[in-house]
Amino acid sequence: MSGEGIPENQDVEALRQKSIAAAEEAIRQASSRPDLHLVQAIQALDDTDKYLNITATRASEWYGLHFPELAQMVQDNVVLCKMISEIGGRGAYSLEALAGRGFTDKKVEAIMEAKERSKGGEISDGDITKVKSLASLAVQLSALRGGLNDYVEAQMKRVAPNVSEVAGATIGARLMAKAGGLDRLAVLPASTIQILGAEKALFRSLRTGARPPKHGILFQHQAVHAAPKWQRGKIARTLANKIAIAARVDYYRGSEDPTIKAGLDKRLEGIKERYKEPPQRRPEQRDRPRREGRPPRRDKFRRR
Amino acid sequence: MSRLLKEERLGRKALLTRNLVPGKRVYNEDLLQRGGAEYRTWDPFRSKLAAAMIKGLPDSAVGEGAKVLYLGASTGTTVSHVSDLVGPGGLVVGVEFSPRVAREFIEKVARERGNVIPFVADARDPSKYSVAKFDVVYCDIAQPDQTEIALANCAALLKPGGTLLLVVKARSIDVLKDPERVFIEEEKKLRAGGFDVKSVTELSPFEKDHALIHAVMDSEG
Repeated sequence: MSGEGIPENQDVEALRQKSIAAAEEAIRQASSRPDLHLVQAIQALDDTDKYLNITATRASEWYGLHFPELAQMVQDNVVLCKMISEIGGRGAYSLEALAGRGFTDKKVEAIMEAKERSKGGEISDGDITKVKSLASLAVQLSALRGGLNDYVEAQMKRVAPNVSEVAGATIGARLMAKAGGLDRLAVLPASTIQILGAEKALFRSLRTGARPPKHGILFQHQAVHAAPKWQRGKIARTLANKIAIAARVDYYRGSEDPTIKAGLDKRLEGIKERYKEPPQRRPEQRDRPRREGRPPRRDKFRRR
Repeated sequence: MSRLLKEERLGRKALLTRNLVPGKRVYNEDLLQRGGAEYRTWDPFRSKLAAAMIKGLPDSAVGEGAKVLYLGASTGTTVSHVSDLVGPGGLVVGVEFSPRVAREFIEKVARERGNVIPFVADARDPSKYSVAKFDVVYCDIAQPDQTEIALANCAALLKPGGTLLLVVKARSIDVLKDPERVFIEEEKKLRAGGFDVKSVTELSPFEKDHALIHAVMDSEG
């Protein structure tokens, strides 16, 4: 029973080989897309941030047993780790060792004084060696982080100049990562872009009728998080609108369009002007956080 | 000996498929000798078709020698077992949209198996892989309109009287609706599309909120 189009046996093998070659070519094509590399870079950046934090915190905690006063005086964890790895134990602190680290004379004096009357315990050679390598790893991670950051910014300017301009390079790259590439970001509705990264809150809202999230990744944007609370939703919505436009221009046209950013700035200006004052709080809102006039959507057959 | 064996292993129902390429593993499944032939264990927690067969889907749904269109091939775990089931005389055309997972599918399954033809393509466009008419269309794709996509593929490429095995992913269709109700609605769509629905198998405890619908296209269709 050979229906139409069914290849004979030898043909099957030829077709199979052709198909494999074509599929591999498609994969090769897809794997060289610069936006996918950018997605990996931003995720590497975010990963590195995490490692850096963990490593530097551990190094300063451990070192704190030996010289707790230093962590108090040097707030920046990376600077602290640099000192730990380069200077080592408390006994090694001297005016020379502290020179050229950007400390004021007063600070150097304070550190030297803290060294003399430190409440820290003794540390063995074995321990200080380990703390030093941990601290030196943190310093390296910090350098890697800086390099990745510069790379993401430079690549965003090339791959998605308008998104980069409107959202900022790192936030734009994170949105792209969430969407799965510039092509996918370019077809997302602005409302989805607005809450990318807030999926948990979104589905909770859909399920229970709780208030929907106003922003996901976009909260990291300075225009959103620096704004007063009551403006944030409006700003996030406007920002998402402009990012949606920017992504489409980037993907389909590929040239810079400064009017998008200008339009955003104008709209933000308008929001700040118009909603200067916090809205009057209705007294019943305290007891009932849910919005009035819009009963939660419930499925009749919902389980639980 | 049969290409599919059912037996008790470690106090549980287990499935084995006769290895088309003896000595080769696809993932880290066990290779076992049964009656002079090599069989691969088929994990129902990793393969929805295996889950359905353990829960009562007849083995005949994917018979020896069948030509199968497999939509949503992913990394090819299930495809490899379908390839075992249809044997050297059958054919599996595997369609996968994502290049990332298609890479593994091609390396581990399509390259090794003479009855598997891979396509990196969108299941919304059956013309990209219309290389044959099929006896079976198996569809496991996470799209809200998955049933419509499956129907369009059947209309284009399934033989009259052919079988559709549709994995209904309730959570992909509507996160809010009760899965039971999604299953019923998708089943209705199949009936309206000229299919005789043989069974709807819920896949718990192997998969949550999934069902496999076994349907046969009306011969006149």
